[in-house]
Amino acid sequence: MSWAQIAIDGLALGAAYALVALGFVLILNAAGAVNFAQGDLVMAGGFAAIVFVGLLPLDGIAVPGLVLAPLVALAGGGAGWLIAEVAYRPLRHRPPVAVFISTIAVGIMLQHGANGIFGAAERRTPPLVAGEALEIAGLTVSPQTLAIVAAAALVILLLHQLLERTQLGRRLRAAAQDAEMARALGIPVRRLTALAFALGAGLAALAGLLLANVYFVTPTAGLAFMLKAYIAVTIGGWGSLRGAVIGAFLVAMFEVVAGRLYSASLADALLYVALLVALLLRPAGLFGEAAGRRA
Amino acid sequence: MSDRAQSGRERIAALGAAPIWLPAAAAVGLLGAAAGAYELRLLAIAGCYALAVLGYQFIFGRVGALSLAQGAFFGLGAYASALLALKLGWDFVRSFPAAIALALVLAAIVGGTVLRLASHYFALATLAVAELSRIVVVEWVSLTGGGNGLPNVPGLVLLDWTVPRGWPVTVFVWGWVAVGTLLAANYSSSLYGDGARLLRAEPLAAAAAGIDQAARRMSAFLLSAAFAAAGGALYVHTLGVVSPEALQFDVMVLILCMTVIGGRNAVAGALVGALLLVHLPEWFRAFERWALLAYGAGLLLAVIAAPEGIAGAVEALWRRWLGAPPVPPQRPAAPAALAPATLPYAEDRAILAAQALGIAFGGNRALSGVTFFLRPGEILGLIGPNGSGKTTLLNLLSGFHRPDSGQIFLDGRNLTALAGWQRARAGIARSFQHGALAADLTALDNVAVAANGAVPCARVADLFRLPVGDAKRRRARAAALSALAAAGAIKIAGKLGTDLSAAERRRVELARALAAAPKVILLDEPAAGLSDAEKAALRAALREVAARGIGIIVVDHGMPFLMPLASRVLCLDAGHIIAAGTPAEVAADPHVRRAYLGTGAAA
Repeated sequence: MSWAQIAIDGLALGAAYALVALGFVLILNAAGAVNFAQGDLVMAGGFAAIVFVGLLPLDGIAVPGLVLAPLVALAGGGAGWLIAEVAYRPLRHRPPVAVFISTIAVGIMLQHGANGIFGAAERRTPPLVAGEALEIAGLTVSPQTLAIVAAAALVILLLHQLLERTQLGRRLRAAAQDAEMARALGIPVRRLTALAFALGAGLAALAGLLLANVYFVTPTAGLAFMLKAYIAVTIGGWGSLRGAVIGAFLVAMFEVVAGRLYSASLADALLYVALLVALLLRPAGLFGEAAGRRA
Repeated sequence: MSDRAQSGRERIAALGAAPIWLPAAAAVGLLGAAAGAYELRLLAIAGCYALAVLGYQFIFGRVGALSLAQGAFFGLGAYASALLALKLGWDFVRSFPAAIALALVLAAIVGGTVLRLASHYFALATLAVAELSRIVVVEWVSLTGGGNGLPNVPGLVLLDWTVPRGWPVTVFVWGWVAVGTLLAANYSSSLYGDGARLLRAEPLAAAAAGIDQAARRMSAFLLSAAFAAAGGALYVHTLGVVSPEALQFDVMVLILCMTVIGGRNAVAGALVGALLLVHLPEWFRAFERWALLAYGAGLLLAVIAAPEGIAGAVEALWRRWLGAPPVPPQRPAAPAALAPATLPYAEDRAILAAQALGIAFGGNRALSGVTFFLRPGEILGLIGPNGSGKTTLLNLLSGFHRPDSGQIFLDGRNLTALAGWQRARAGIARSFQHGALAADLTALDNVAVAANGAVPCARVADLFRLPVGDAKRRRARAAALSALAAAGAIKIAGKLGTDLSAAERRRVELARALAAAPKVILLDEPAAGLSDAEKAALRAALREVAARGIGIIVVDHGMPFLMPLASRVLCLDAGHIIAAGTPAEVAADPHVRRAYLGTGAAA
């Protein structure tokens, strides 16, 4: 496997991680707290896709992931909305650590709910588009890899447009920056916070659909995704959307390169060591906190 | 009542809600009565977790830092003790303390680097450390057996005698739980534990009371690791095997659930949480697969509906039915423990001096070129419109912000580089606008905490309830009582922080400032919201304090309160001193009148 090949794998992985990390930051900015269930929502997205495959009345026909993507994202969005109302809203006036714990609880429920329904075995979602691997300039690129990058790029672009160009996006950012002020201006903060949770969870679920084709999915897979999103957001600048995307690609590249040089678990270990060293040298995060212009 | 009897009662109170011990004891008895080998082993395992939860209460409950490494310390304690027994043939008498020592060393290294991080990075860093240790254990196959773990771990061998399985092992484990419970209760009921409560509720006030936040967090982190390793070591010799599952995040989650559901602060909550969650899957055997789902639901429910857990809820009910627990009786006022800090003093010497202080937040210059001095026994007023930098100046003086430029001297010593708690110990005390007290401490103990800051505290002595710890607490309380008397708040010494009125909180804050035997006191709007009679009483109290030789800076919005009190007044506007002089001079100053747009300066 050549380095160019590894770079392409890293790109696809980074694209999926970027979706997870973006969702993490959207919720972080809206709630002022870490959503610890973000990784379990990725896992749940993978299982939701498997459920939808079973539900769709397409006997014998391989359902392409492209059909599933909107369904999975919507289901994730619904879950996010529920999390906002049940696990965030009652705690919104308490210290952020309360939300941290309530989302740990949500994560446990997702993980063990999935384990109860599906069992511990590995599952796999269908590819976004079916097809043979392509030969491009001597590299083997599977259509799924291309589809992941394309889908993630499209979603990130749409999200950017939503936040930067629409009134809804401006209101979302205003509500995240100063809820009291936004409320005084007549912005429906409660609904927008729930919307941010829905968007964040929807992105995670979509990433789950994309990743579970290549890497499979198990009920316990959530923690690793959550950790990687958390690390991506930490190195990209706490609260920064652009930083989250950059951080996600850095984490993914580190993972594939170190995984190629050593082993997958050693790659994880090195990532954690790198994180600890980074925090030791820069206790406020690598690029500081993006307070003030958070969404 | 004698001191000894009183301190015994406090120790009992610190064990948590008395009523919860009855069902807990009944539960242990009932579970034990069933007394099959399996049930007894389950009970012993609950005891191992109870130790880990007792430890977790130090870092997560008392100082409020969300560590996600508690499960890892538990697992590492298990591995360490098992490996020492298997590879070196050590018995439990040696492997148990060695496992605890290893956890302490590791916690010291980890804590030294990550404890200063903000909460969301602290949680991430501790989780990374936990995952890292799991990977090391899985990958170091030659030592740890890798994914298969270590079978045939010997039982609890004491010298040549193995504690027999069944009742003896269970009793042995719960004996250690009893030891841990006593240590935790001692910590809770000590002055050191009171300081941790103030630290969690009001970190800045704790710093101003001379409490070193980093040291408190470190000692709590070390204690949590030691307790977890103890639990893990007992666990591995009770079970006879250990695998990397002991290091998985699930163990951390289980300990977190036990702590939150049982109660993160009451010592009894640790036992209730551990017993309940270990036995819950057994009671609903048919739903075993879903047990952890139920833990998640229980965790969510607890954090929303019962933040203090079962123990806290029972305690609240108990209080509602039977009224508040009796407050400790007040001892006769101690002999003047408040030695005048700076007598004899010369009237013309500056006790506090600021030279060209400046600070900017982002692009916003909050203060620039602020230079002034304060004499011993002098009351200096500090006025200025909203946003003029008054509180920022106090924060610079008390070390909560570092100035970008300029220097601060106390009694000739340059304090500019010192942290908040160090300046408090050097002799700068202060109050806060909102009355920053711990809600769950009495007024007396809210004040005693600051007196403790002045006296080097006795961590180990507190933990083991050695006489020296009790003596320090008695001395601190005596000083607190004198300070409360000086602040005119002796009558409310026994009231809980949460029950105090705004005026009472101000007095208690003044007392807390006095209790540290300071050279200088900074008061942030002490008169806000007081009636005229209360203001007059406060002025009288401040004059008495100044008469001891303590320099006082009083911040207020305008002149009326300061006019008859201060000997000099400084006026800040937009971060600059625009006027200084006697109250009458400042009130008449055209710059001051302009700054206030004609209002407020009319007095």
